Amino acid sequence: MDREESKGKPETFIKEVTFILAVTFAGVALQFVTGAFDFAILAFPVNLIFLLIFIVLMAVRPSNAIGRFGTLSISIILISVLIILSIIMGLVPENNVKNSWPFVLTYLMLLVNLALVIGRRIRTFKLKDTGFMLNHLGLFILLFSASFGSADMERYFMKVDQGDIEWRGRSTKTGVVVELPVAVQLTDFKIEEYQTKLALVSRKTGELLPEGKPQYSESKLNSKSHLGEWSIIVDSIIDRKKYAPAAYIEAINENSGDEHKGWVSCGNYFQSHKVLNLTDEYCIAMTYPEPKSFSSEVEVFKEGGASKKGIIQVNHPLTIGQWKIYQYSYNTQMGRNSDYSVFELVYDPWLIPAYAGIIMLFTGVMTLFCRGARR
Amino acid sequence: MSWNEFIYFAGGSLFLWILGVAALYLIRRRAISDILICSGLTLFASFIALLWIDLGHPPLKTMGETRLWYSLFLVLVGYLTYLRWGYKWLVAYSTLISSVFIIINLLKPEIHNENLMPALQSIWFVPHVTVYILAYAMMGAATVAALIALLGHSRSQDKLISMIDDLVYIGLAFLIAGILMGAIWAKQAWGDYWTWDPKEIWAFITAATFLVYIHSRRAGYNLKIILWIIPLGLILLMITWLGVSYLPSAQGSIHVY
Repeated sequence: MDREESKGKPETFIKEVTFILAVTFAGVALQFVTGAFDFAILAFPVNLIFLLIFIVLMAVRPSNAIGRFGTLSISIILISVLIILSIIMGLVPENNVKNSWPFVLTYLMLLVNLALVIGRRIRTFKLKDTGFMLNHLGLFILLFSASFGSADMERYFMKVDQGDIEWRGRSTKTGVVVELPVAVQLTDFKIEEYQTKLALVSRKTGELLPEGKPQYSESKLNSKSHLGEWSIIVDSIIDRKKYAPAAYIEAINENSGDEHKGWVSCGNYFQSHKVLNLTDEYCIAMTYPEPKSFSSEVEVFKEGGASKKGIIQVNHPLTIGQWKIYQYSYNTQMGRNSDYSVFELVYDPWLIPAYAGIIMLFTGVMTLFCRGARR
Repeated sequence: MSWNEFIYFAGGSLFLWILGVAALYLIRRRAISDILICSGLTLFASFIALLWIDLGHPPLKTMGETRLWYSLFLVLVGYLTYLRWGYKWLVAYSTLISSVFIIINLLKPEIHNENLMPALQSIWFVPHVTVYILAYAMMGAATVAALIALLGHSRSQDKLISMIDDLVYIGLAFLIAGILMGAIWAKQAWGDYWTWDPKEIWAFITAATFLVYIHSRRAGYNLKIILWIIPLGLILLMITWLGVSYLPSAQGSIHVY
C-alpha cells in the first residue's frame, strides 16, 4: 500500500519536501520575530487539548487532504529534517536548537504524521501488525509525553539540615523559593568514602606526579608500595570522625637509601593538610577521599497526611505520589561530616505514560530483533 | 570466592568458548558447539554468582566488576543472536571482545578497586553498554555487506540485500534498546529521561539515520542511493561512541567519561 503511494511519483515527493521545508523555514522566521519557543505554554490544559486533536487525527481518512500527510515518504522527510537539526544541535556549542521554532514545528509535524500512520493501521489491524503498532504507538506516546507532557514538569532543589524538616524548594528554572506540597525530614545523612591515596606532588606547581599520568598508592595500614624511586610504608593511620584522615609514613629512596618519616594528611574543613617533603622538587601528599556512596535517611510527608520513610541515594530516588526525590548534593566541604543534604524534587505527572511508551517501544524492538526485515 | 580464583574460571570459560567457536566452524553437529558455549557461560556465571555471595552485594561497584558482566553478556547475547539468525561470526566476535575484557581484568588486577562514581553504580550500566557493543557489530557487518553490494559484483545480490536488511533491523533493535535503557537509567540518576545531552543527541541522530534506511527500503527508493545510508550511519555511530568527547559542544556534558 505504502509502496504504490509514493513510488514513481517524483512530483508528489517534491511537493512534500517543499511543504515540510516551508513549515520549517517559517519556524526560522518565527524564531527571529518571537525568539525561542517556550514549552511552558503547552502546560495543562493545552497539552490535553492537543492530545484530543491527535486522537481526532487518528480517525482522519488517508484519502483526505490532511490524511495525505500520513504517508511513508513524509515520515522519511521529517526524520531527515530532524536529523539535520540535531546535527546542528550536536555540533554548535551552546545552541538552543531544542527550544527553537524550526525544531518544535518539525517535531510537531512528526507527531501529526505518526498519529495519521497509527490511525490508518488501526483501521486494518491484523495480528501481524502488533510489532508495528507497539513501535509506532509506543514512540508516539513517548514523544508526546517528552514534549507536551514535559511542560507540566516541575523541579526544585531543597536543602535540608540534619534533623530538620523542610517544605520549601527553590525552582530550578526561575530560582524562586516556593512552598511545596511535600516536606522532607532528614533523619540521618551517611557517606561512605573510598580509601585515601598517596601520591608524589610537585612542590612548585602542586601537580600530581608524573604529570598527566599520576601514580597512586593506597594509604592502608602496614601497606608497602612504590612511588617513583621511593618505597613507602604506612606505619599508622588515623581515621576518626570529624578528624581529617592522616597516615604516618616511612619513605625510603631505593637508590640513595635516603629516609624520611612523618605525618601526611589531606586535611579537611578545620584541619590543614600536611605533606612530607622528600626533595626540593617534590613531596608526598594524601589525596582527598572520594565519595563511594552517600545516602539520606528521610521521612517524607505529603499534604493531606500521607508519609513515607526511606533511604535516598544516587540512582535510588524515593517516589511519593507523582513526586520523585533525588539525592543531589551535600556539604562537600565537610565531606563525611556533612550536616545537610540537598535533594532535587521532580514532579512529573506524565512519567507513567512516558514509561508506558518506553515499554511498548522496547517490546516493539524485540519484534524487530526476532523477525528482522520480514513482515 | 575472590578475584584470586578468577583466572581458573575465566581461563576455563574462554577455553570452552574458543573451542565452541572452532566447533561451530569445523564440526557439522551443532550440539557440540552448543554444549561447549553453554558450559563456558555457566562456568563464568557461577564465578559472578559466587563473588556476589562473597561480597554480599551485586558486583557492580568497580570497573573490574562491570567488566565481568560485559564478558558474560556479550557472549550470552551474541550466542542468542546466533541461535536466532545463524551468524557464526557474531559468536566469534563476542568471544573476542569478551576475552579483551577478561584479559584486562587478569593483567591489571589493581583496577578491581578502581572507583566507580555513584551515578554509574546502576543495574542499567552493563546492559546499556552491552547492547551498544553488539549494535556496533551488527552495523559494522551491515556496512561491509553494503559496500560489497555497492562496489562489488555479487552474483547473489538479492540474498545479500535481504541479509543487509536483517542486520540493520537487528542492529537498530540493539540501538533503540540501548537508548531506552539509558533513558530509564537517566531518570533514576538525574531525574530526567531525556535532556538532549550531546551523547543523547548523537545516539538519536544515529538511530534516526538507520530509521531512514529501513523506511526508505519500505518506500522502494533507489537501492544504489539508500545503501550509502548504512556506512554513513556507522560513521555517526562512531561519533556517538568516540567522537562526542572531543566535540566543543560536549564540553561540560555529564555523559563524557
